Amino acid sequence: MESIIAGLLDSLSPISLLFVFGGVALGVAIGAIPGINGPMAIALFIPLTYYMSPLAAIGFLVGLNKGAFFGGAISAILLRTPGTPEAAATSWDGYPLTQQGKGEKALRMALYASFAGDLFATIVLVVIAAPLATVALYMGPPEMFALITLALTVVAGIGSKSIARGLIAAAFGLTAGMIGTEPVTALPRLTFDIYQLESGLSLIPVAIGLLAFSEILIQLERHVGSGGSQGSATHFSSRPEDRLVAWKELFDNLKTLFRSSLIGVGVGAMPGLGAPVASFLSYDQAQKRSKTPDKFGKGNLEGIAASESANSAVVGASLIPLFVLGIPGNLAVAMLMGAFMIHGMMPGPLLFEENSQLMYGVFGSLVIASFFLLLIGRFGLKLFCKAVQIPAVILYPIVIFTCIMGSYLGQSSIFDVIVMLVFGVIGYFMRKFDYSFVAFLIGFILVPEWERALQQVVITSQFDPFMFFTRPVAVILMLLVLYVVIKTFVGNIRNKGYKETRA
Amino acid sequence: MTRLHRDTLVCLGIALGSVVLLAWVIPAYTPPYPGYGASPALVPNVAVSIMLVMSILALVRNSLIIWWGKADSSGESDYPEEGDSASFTQVGPAKLMHLILFMVPCALLIPALDWIGFIPASILFLLVMQYLVGRRTVVGPVLLAVAMSALMYVVMRYGFSVPIPGT
Repeated sequence: MESIIAGLLDSLSPISLLFVFGGVALGVAIGAIPGINGPMAIALFIPLTYYMSPLAAIGFLVGLNKGAFFGGAISAILLRTPGTPEAAATSWDGYPLTQQGKGEKALRMALYASFAGDLFATIVLVVIAAPLATVALYMGPPEMFALITLALTVVAGIGSKSIARGLIAAAFGLTAGMIGTEPVTALPRLTFDIYQLESGLSLIPVAIGLLAFSEILIQLERHVGSGGSQGSATHFSSRPEDRLVAWKELFDNLKTLFRSSLIGVGVGAMPGLGAPVASFLSYDQAQKRSKTPDKFGKGNLEGIAASESANSAVVGASLIPLFVLGIPGNLAVAMLMGAFMIHGMMPGPLLFEENSQLMYGVFGSLVIASFFLLLIGRFGLKLFCKAVQIPAVILYPIVIFTCIMGSYLGQSSIFDVIVMLVFGVIGYFMRKFDYSFVAFLIGFILVPEWERALQQVVITSQFDPFMFFTRPVAVILMLLVLYVVIKTFVGNIRNKGYKETRA
Repeated sequence: MTRLHRDTLVCLGIALGSVVLLAWVIPAYTPPYPGYGASPALVPNVAVSIMLVMSILALVRNSLIIWWGKADSSGESDYPEEGDSASFTQVGPAKLMHLILFMVPCALLIPALDWIGFIPASILFLLVMQYLVGRRTVVGPVLLAVAMSALMYVVMRYGFSVPIPGT
């Protein structure tokens, strides 16, 4: 109880509040810029958190992520160019409202829905994470090994369009993550006798290269190819009914907000699915259950409420597997896991035992970030709308320069800049050929834990493979791995057959 | 070249790369077995074997589709279907030239920091980048380049107290 109160008080300290506020404000502004999303922003700003206290760093990054999720809706509604994939469904109803001069109303609905979904998911996280983590403490190395295998398979299978490409990407991530010092012998492995590689590839340059730099390379290609066209500026009606969301309109959407938040929590808690799935699924459910389904896609506030509350609920819910099991389910959470590791903590059930005060401080920051999002969105909406109009010719060189300096900043190492450039090119080709960099990054991050669990299993069982059969939870998890692989393969074949029949 | 052919070439590259890793890199750059626990080569071998098996399976599948003359749109269905997906997945000589064009200044920035110092190298880099992106005015790009370089210098030197590259 003492640590709960101390943690919550820590989250209310002025410095912590300042960083959470800054994170949310920066996140909204960055998320509003088309082409820049939450994980990219986290990757770019992680180097700065080296110099912050753990709570301020995590609070800042969590705020950044929450803000970016809502920011993505701004460009989706105003320009129909979603800043993030999960905001695509928001644009279906948001942009028609903008065309009618009701862009501000659409943005306000998006804000309230984001706040509702986000707060709901945060409360669920706070209530269930600690008790679940206590149960997870009973998991031994075989269960952890099986669980990480399952997480990697799910991310590779469900997160990619082809399980073959997903598994290749995950295996590539595992291989890259094994570069460095081998844990048992403490000797260098796969380093090509390059001494800078003996401490392994640092997450920051790898993440900046894969997430931000490669994305900018692709966008530059499109931008130069299209002659650098920009979205048009938008006009807001000044009539109050076109600007504000009435209480009645909000109450009419309460059911949708609750259902969509539930969908967001369910989807977010499962690794690999991510916010776009939650957003499309809840939009589909809202349309199916609506009395006026024909109004969807033509400027219906319910569509915005469904999409935004679901994708914002994913933010908090996706922290459940991270805090309970130490498994990141999506890119943003993988980046947050990296931030925890940078500050010397390994996310997972032990985190509540070893750093309970910090964890409750993080919970406090999560709740505060939700309210800051409402506050910042409510009073700074028009200011953030300006971010969508930053010309690409100014933005791209700045982002490239920030990528280079950000990767240097982590360890003051020019070698890290080279790593970032190499992974930028690798990420470029992974995007081109549709190899999942989510699977790569999650494999890269989880491999030390996976290998440690495997070594513990091998050493304690003395090479007895039947040891697994004495652990029912591990057996169930490994059967689930088989199920996911078979199901995804069969699903791919069925989809192909269906498309061929249709053709 | 269709996407199917390109995918086949990529899989072939991954398969060959995996063979090189399994046959040369892992044995040459992995510590010897210490006599307890799993061999340090076990997990790398498993990961690379997954890459090899999956790329061979994809190669076989693609070869069968090409062999049976089904190299039409059905073989491309699991690629991203974005609005401009055709140009998105394209990797022709023009796209590669574009990639090289942007990568060369980034690669040159690293030695340039040592040769001419942080601020001049950064200003030059930002000017080149703005030119490549298509900004053809003079005053705006110069102001942006100077402001960004100075800001980064101040943040790194006085904000985070890190050693500035090239100083």
